[in-house]
Amino acid sequence: MFLSPSLSSSDHVMLLRPFSTFRRALLSSSLSNTPRTLGSFASHSTKTTLMASISTASTEKGASSTDQEPQKQQQQPPARPLQVAKRLEKFKTTIFTQMSMLAIKHGAVNLGQGFPNFDGPNFVKEAAIQAIREGKNQYARGYGVPDFNSAIVARFGKDTGLEVDPEKEVTVTSGCTEAIAATILGLINPGDEVILFAPFYDSYEATLSMAGAKIKCITLRPPDFSVPVDELKSAISKNTRAVLINTPHNPTGKMFTREELELIAALCIENDVLVFTDEVYDKLAFEAEHISMASLPGMYERTVTMNSLGKTFSLTGWKIGWAIAPEHLTWGVRQAHSFLTFATSTPMQWAAAAALRAPDSYYVELKRDYMAKKAILVEGLKAVGFVVYPSSGTYFVVVDHTPFGLENDVAFCEYLIKEVGVVAIPTSVFYLNPEEGKNLVRFTFCKDEDTLKAAVQRMKQRLRKI
Amino acid sequence: MEAKLSRISRTLTPSPIQELSHLAQRCGAINLAEGFPDFSAPPHVKEAAISAINADLNQYRHVQGICDLLAATMRQNYGLDINPLTDVVICCGQSEAFAAAIFAAINQGDEVLLFDPAYETYESCIALAGGIPVYVPLDPPYWTLNVDKLMKSFTSRTKAVVLNSPHNPTGKVFSKEELQAIAGACCKMDCFAITDEVYEYITFDMQKHISIATLPGMQERTVITSSLSKTFSVTGWRIGWACAPASIASAIRSIHVKITDSAPAPFQEAAVTALQSPPAYFKFLKAEYEAKRDFVVQMLSSLGFQIRFKPQGSVFVFAELPENWLLSDLEFVTELIENAGVAAVPGCGFFHADPNVQEYRNRYVRFAFCKSEATLNAAAQKMGELCKLQRMPGSLIRKKILE
Repeated sequence: MFLSPSLSSSDHVMLLRPFSTFRRALLSSSLSNTPRTLGSFASHSTKTTLMASISTASTEKGASSTDQEPQKQQQQPPARPLQVAKRLEKFKTTIFTQMSMLAIKHGAVNLGQGFPNFDGPNFVKEAAIQAIREGKNQYARGYGVPDFNSAIVARFGKDTGLEVDPEKEVTVTSGCTEAIAATILGLINPGDEVILFAPFYDSYEATLSMAGAKIKCITLRPPDFSVPVDELKSAISKNTRAVLINTPHNPTGKMFTREELELIAALCIENDVLVFTDEVYDKLAFEAEHISMASLPGMYERTVTMNSLGKTFSLTGWKIGWAIAPEHLTWGVRQAHSFLTFATSTPMQWAAAAALRAPDSYYVELKRDYMAKKAILVEGLKAVGFVVYPSSGTYFVVVDHTPFGLENDVAFCEYLIKEVGVVAIPTSVFYLNPEEGKNLVRFTFCKDEDTLKAAVQRMKQRLRKI
Repeated sequence: MEAKLSRISRTLTPSPIQELSHLAQRCGAINLAEGFPDFSAPPHVKEAAISAINADLNQYRHVQGICDLLAATMRQNYGLDINPLTDVVICCGQSEAFAAAIFAAINQGDEVLLFDPAYETYESCIALAGGIPVYVPLDPPYWTLNVDKLMKSFTSRTKAVVLNSPHNPTGKVFSKEELQAIAGACCKMDCFAITDEVYEYITFDMQKHISIATLPGMQERTVITSSLSKTFSVTGWRIGWACAPASIASAIRSIHVKITDSAPAPFQEAAVTALQSPPAYFKFLKAEYEAKRDFVVQMLSSLGFQIRFKPQGSVFVFAELPENWLLSDLEFVTELIENAGVAAVPGCGFFHADPNVQEYRNRYVRFAFCKSEATLNAAAQKMGELCKLQRMPGSLIRKKILE
């Protein structure tokens, strides 16, 4: 079971985990070299992120420039500075930190942050409060409170017609972010090829890098961001380990059609590829029917379906997510999960179980409310002069800002904050190659109607072609 | 499709400890195995969480107040100067803080020193990050640090030392001299120290918890991890943190943001209240746990266990099976669950070094005393009955002796 190290004898004992090859060094070259303008927005709570860096050019640990013999074990302080791991990318805060401060300074209306400025339903909050009062404040079972796992399975059954085992096929995580991290770290080997669709939620790329994956990116383009079939066919091969799909899609609002999913499914079956789906916006499906890849013939056995409470119930800060997968895949997800966070917030799980048992009327009302908000925003954006791309789901809309004459998305967003007093997100951060997103910015409509109207008003009054 | 699993996950196996805990559940055993309380969290902390939920503080948040309070507390308790704006990362529990710190510091092939016995999660985390755990056995019966063994464990590939103090499972609190030795080694070998200090407020007999970051040359290379869980009896809330110099904290934050993005918002708010608890709260916490420790140590001693090392901190007693008991720890615990209805943890799961060197690895059982008086009394009674019935617990023991 254990491989003995080939070091010279010493008193110390080493245990190597029994795998025959070490993880390969991270493939930083597979990622874009252009400076990433990432940073936190306003508060830490938005989806854009800080990427920290240690230059990979600095002296490598162990590869000291001094004339050390190999295997030199003891008492020689190595001549290199303390470094953090190579898996971290270059640190760029500039634009976004500045914009966050600008936003606050100018009192800008924030349609950038991907979370609501209204709160979740009372019955869910009450359930959490009750759980806290009843003393449900200690470690939950690692993969989920049994009652919550059952509720997840019941909801999934209603939505997809699939019957899954709550004990063996569901893992509860700290938000869908952790479900993604656990799935990738648990199921992806260093060097594995994974296909992503750009633009993408930024944690996908970074987490895949952490796992040492080789990322292959397929860009979805306006106006309808449809899957480029030929590109997909040439991208997926027997070398592909997994495809990551986010539907409904952040930032574009695209929903993968049945035809697209069937095509991807066929290629995955043919080439024995896994699929990881992020479906957190599944209840915010307005113009099309949401389809879970796992429900397609032959796909359940190779799919990890991920979701969360936050978007559906306007409780994004509770960090309750889950992954549904067949037992052999759940195993890997659970292993990684147990070493990432060990367990998920107990009282919130109890509340989430109550939430998922909400009657259909809740979802009907949710959709109706969001569609009204969307109408306000979309009409406003069109009236002002943006090219607005149709968004079928999520609470995002992407628009082409170029009619206003600014050179790229970041410049436009800066201008929008300073001169107009409205915040949007530059979408270049969602691409491997930022150039591909420079014409687009993302607005969100998960805000109360007054806020949306105020934003539209400001844009009507102050937004002008440069 | 099993072939699709990552190599790492396929090597990680379910622990015998988990299986015993399932047995304990099935038998409805009194649980002195798990390290979390069966008594309530303090009311003022619970109410703070409830208020936060009612005040609509339920969206993604980073609550800076936690960082400010931690900075103040560290200055007050340990004399540490940290920058609350840059040096603190709020995570989903100490578990996540530790995982993020490991992923931030450890490259493929880096070695990480751990003191044995050790909490089982550390090594899996290290392995997940591509690192290699290297165990430095503490010497029984007092679990003293052997500086010679420590120094011999360093190689040119050693990247970090993990320090859990107060210590799970032994209840050891590393002494100043021991910390100095470890600190000296870290500085000399230019390594990180990654600490797990979750029991920092649970120390006994005037024993003081010292943060290794306060030793010369250490702050610049130390990541402190801790949490609300044990101090405030809210292990299910998942609020923890990592403190480190700005550039290292920044790296940890980047990883954390990819793992979970943020910790549960209402509980972050409650943490602000918790961290402002008056000194009386911490005094009370200590006193309560010390009384529980004394009770359990007394109980186990009277049953024949050898308690040569009384825990100086944490919520655990690591009791040695009496010399003339020939059961292994696993056999004993199974017996205890089945016949006495009390669950504890066999010590073997905490030992990782060479079995030939650690012949005592099957001689210890860990009992948790973070339980109500009622629970501890009931456990004492049940275990006492078992011993009375059979003179020594377990017909298995008799079998072994007669063989």
